[in-house]
Amino acid sequence: MAQHTDPGGTGAHGAAQGHHAMGEQQRETLRRAIRLEWITIAWVSATVVLVGLVAGQSQAMRAAWAEDALSLLPPVAFLVATRFIRRPSSRSHPYGHHRAIGVAHLVAALALLGMGSYLAISSAMGLIRVERPPVGLMVIFGQPIWTGWLMIAVMVVTSPGPVVLGRLKKRLAEDLHDKVLSADGDMGSADWRTAIATVVGVLGIGIGWWWADAVAAIIVSVSIIKDGVHNLWSAIAGLTDTEARTVDGSEPHPLTLEVEQRALAEPWVADASARVRDLGHVLHVELFVAPHAGIAPQLEQLEALHRRVCELDWKVDDVVVVPCRELPSSQTFRSTLRD
Amino acid sequence: MHPGPLVGPRRARLRRTVAAAAALIVMLLVTTGCLGSMPRDSQGTLDRATGGVLRVGVSEHPPFTVVGENGDVSGEEVDLIQQYAAGIDARIEWTAGPESVLSEAMKNGDLDVVIGGFTADAPWTSTIAFPRPYTTLERPDGSTAKVVMGVRPGENALMVDLELFLARAAGEI
Repeated sequence: MAQHTDPGGTGAHGAAQGHHAMGEQQRETLRRAIRLEWITIAWVSATVVLVGLVAGQSQAMRAAWAEDALSLLPPVAFLVATRFIRRPSSRSHPYGHHRAIGVAHLVAALALLGMGSYLAISSAMGLIRVERPPVGLMVIFGQPIWTGWLMIAVMVVTSPGPVVLGRLKKRLAEDLHDKVLSADGDMGSADWRTAIATVVGVLGIGIGWWWADAVAAIIVSVSIIKDGVHNLWSAIAGLTDTEARTVDGSEPHPLTLEVEQRALAEPWVADASARVRDLGHVLHVELFVAPHAGIAPQLEQLEALHRRVCELDWKVDDVVVVPCRELPSSQTFRSTLRD
Repeated sequence: MHPGPLVGPRRARLRRTVAAAAALIVMLLVTTGCLGSMPRDSQGTLDRATGGVLRVGVSEHPPFTVVGENGDVSGEEVDLIQQYAAGIDARIEWTAGPESVLSEAMKNGDLDVVIGGFTADAPWTSTIAFPRPYTTLERPDGSTAKVVMGVRPGENALMVDLELFLARAAGEI
């Protein structure tokens, strides 16, 4: 095995921390994302209170309430994580604190999955036991009104907020390469389906179909479970150092290929292989380079390569260049985007 | 890579989605018909009792309910339910018994309404639906509890009708 040195990972070219590595444009995007998440928290809190006031015995309303309360988790996780990732790396955290986002993602995913399963099971039990939901009267300012109408009104009034915010957040998530923000946006923009299912369930109670409500609740919980499973896989993939992927997880991240191509563009490089993992919102790059036979790369050449790779994208945060006589046999695969 | 602002086809698609959702809801409202008749009973209890028989279970709890030696019933809630039954032109079929027995009878579908100074935190919520409280009572320890009548679960037309009657009787509306 060739000698491994690490000219790029220390000293003047030491890895910039993700937060500082961001350009002005990304920092502005991050500020907008933080603002959107605070708006989300305010909106969802108001929704949780309103839905809680009218939920009563309706399973679908309880399911919608739980989904709303749970949808507070990703914004909170995002806001906590964006504080953590600002901390610089240290002896005790040599890779920095970027993994905080991965942990936040995992917590949010597990909460979704757990609550979705609980709701699905309790609604199914309600169907089996033929539990007929009682939905009665409320008196508001001396006016009697069937609680079902209030439930429908609350659903119609509160659901557009997360949908609009979710669409805005998904766009920012792509720029910021932030999976928690992306997952949050996905959940929000799917919120209108929950609202419609709940409204249909309550109308079902209204026309005497006692089962409509539980069926609607099961449909809502299936969508919560789907969110949970999707996010759980994505969080586990990130925490187990799988190949870096685009923020929606649909394809390998193009930067892996770009890093390798950038290395191969150096005249002294014969072969290069990069392993790139996703630390949450920034990428950690270990780049193995084998020089042409008979060439011993100078420190300046290695530093130049390190700098050029760092300049590819602000997301390329922590770069280690490893020169070796030939590529390590365990790393001779190439970016899956090649060819 | 940047998906761009929400204009053109993206916005049109969003609008179509929202319009479709709204249309679906309106359609449902229209097809279910007679919005004014909502909510309806899941087993038509109010329709059956109107001009017919209202099956009322009584658990003794003075002064709300008193069950005499010979089985005749009296008390504040008995008076209230008699007034309510008169309003829907129903004859009352009384069943006296402790709460646990009434709960079992309710589960078997043998009763429509139960009375007996039930409180809103009573442990019978799986078999009895409790409407909104119509008054309060003071417990021996000085705390107050909300007093409710019990209705067959899922019979929401009957429940809302009874709630309206009680709210009017209490002068709330």
